[in-house]
Amino acid sequence: MAIFTRTTKNLILKIDEFFDNIDLGLLVFREGIKAYLAGDTEAFGRHIQKVELLENNADRLQRSIENEMITHSILPQHRGEVSSLIDVLDEIIDTIKASLTEFSIESPEIPSSLHHHFISMMEASVSAGEELIPAARAFFKSPYTVREKLLKVYYFESETDKVIKNTIRIIFHDMKELDLAHKAHLRYVIHHIGNISDNAQKAADMLSIMAIKIVM
Amino acid sequence: MIILFLTSGLLLGWSLGANDAANVFGSAVGSKMLSFRKAAIIASIFVIIGAVVQGSGASDTLGRLGAVNAIGGSFTVALAAAIVVYMMTKFSLPVSTTQSIVGAIIGWNLFTGNPTDAGTLTPILSTWVSGPVLGAAFAVILYILLKGLKRKSAIHLVRFESYIRTGLIIVGAFGAYSVGANNIANVMGVFIPAFDLHPLHLKLFTLSSQQQLFLIGSLSIAAGIITYSHRVMQQVGNNIMELSSESALVVVLSQALVLFTFSSSALSSLIQKAGLPPIPMVPVSSTQVVIGSIIGIGLYRGARNINFRVIGEIAAGWVLTPVIAGILTFFSLFFVKNIFGIDVGRKSIDSSPVDLPLAEADTRISEIMQYLILGLITVGLIAILFYYLLERKKNSELKKSEEKFWKNMK
Repeated sequence: MAIFTRTTKNLILKIDEFFDNIDLGLLVFREGIKAYLAGDTEAFGRHIQKVELLENNADRLQRSIENEMITHSILPQHRGEVSSLIDVLDEIIDTIKASLTEFSIESPEIPSSLHHHFISMMEASVSAGEELIPAARAFFKSPYTVREKLLKVYYFESETDKVIKNTIRIIFHDMKELDLAHKAHLRYVIHHIGNISDNAQKAADMLSIMAIKIVM
Repeated sequence: MIILFLTSGLLLGWSLGANDAANVFGSAVGSKMLSFRKAAIIASIFVIIGAVVQGSGASDTLGRLGAVNAIGGSFTVALAAAIVVYMMTKFSLPVSTTQSIVGAIIGWNLFTGNPTDAGTLTPILSTWVSGPVLGAAFAVILYILLKGLKRKSAIHLVRFESYIRTGLIIVGAFGAYSVGANNIANVMGVFIPAFDLHPLHLKLFTLSSQQQLFLIGSLSIAAGIITYSHRVMQQVGNNIMELSSESALVVVLSQALVLFTFSSSALSSLIQKAGLPPIPMVPVSSTQVVIGSIIGIGLYRGARNINFRVIGEIAAGWVLTPVIAGILTFFSLFFVKNIFGIDVGRKSIDSSPVDLPLAEADTRISEIMQYLILGLITVGLIAILFYYLLERKKNSELKKSEEKFWKNMK
């Protein structure tokens, strides 16, 4: 019987560890971008390594959680949804890794006048992800509170969109000194930062439905 | 010959296992909280224990409804009831064995000219209404309590589901015990007057004549659960309403409580001591109680969740079952009596359970029955051991493949 084995406890620990990984990934991304903008290559390199580690760990945990849920028939009715949620959350850390790697390989030249915009954009996008994690944890412990927690995710996602739109407008309308290739490159990098909040919103939509179903 | 007559009772037991007993774990299997195999094994073991330990209460009531006073009659009554239940099961309609046997006994009463005791029939009929209503009431109360508990405790979903699963196993075992205790009367009740076996002394306990019959009957119920109850479990679990894991637990628990209420003499006398009217010891339909419980939760959550078309089909089955069983028994008795020339019973002068010319063959029959019981117990134990070893092998292979997978991943 499940309560007499360690399976349940292990699975709970793994789910919590997975959320911790995403949370830490977001934190490292924030510091990584700040280090890049500050030109601190050593710190930036350290942050990339840390994110790679976290991403690998998250992938391992994702496989392990899905595996355990199937082999031990845990959460039979919510298994599909929980797997999808973990999949979308994993996409967040995948995006973080991809984005930081992009900064590392392509070294986009960000004009100093845009630093403030980049930081605002990154802060809003990361905040959307950070607000998602407590909601995802709440789904397992107090599903009644999930929807109120998700409000902040939607708020920060829309803030990110606004800052992105504004920054791209500045790049293409006001910064005549940049050539088109540079502008296109910056837009490409910006979209990748925005992907974090987009994924957070995707996960929030999913969580919102899951919470209703479980509360009903 | 007399043991051959018993086969119709065993067929009825098999039908009960395939149909009524399936309800115990139907919601658990339907909601995917338990695998069918695990559910079938637990149900089988506890049905047997319930029947042997506590089966006598409800049997007396059926005996009073119609004391079938010839083995040919018992055979025909049980066979007709079994055929009706089997046909209904074939169409995946969860009908009630109780209704079938009651209809069949009334058919026998009509054929032999015996009066149907209204004083006995009324509580039986009333449970056809009060059973599901009580089930619904229990279910709503338990559902509210469980939901409140879950909300207050802020327990992790994974842990909660694990408790629910464990709860389903424990409560399901209690439910199966109650089904065995309450419904064995349907299967073997009509044969009790025809058998007077020597007590069977096993090392730890002794089985009386009635208990030996109940053991044989409950083994046939177990066979029905294992071989044919899967479809009905799915029907109960999913067709009426999509059940959550906590609803599944509540349904199983409320059903077990209702059945236990109607088969526990101790509870009845406790209530009497408190100055309340006694609870009638009546075989209640587990099917009706389960469906009542599911509807109770459905109504509490909003009637939209309920598939009323399926309920209509089931209700039609409830009305048709006793009527068809009664008619079939009546005509079957006619054929058995007039074509095969077998005594199917006669009108009793008084309504007490009756003079049966059966006791002479007791020693031989007792011996056969004892060997049969011991053989069946041995086969059952071997089957459980085989299942245990199979599960162990499966788990160890799974563990090995997991270890290999994670080793390669690293």
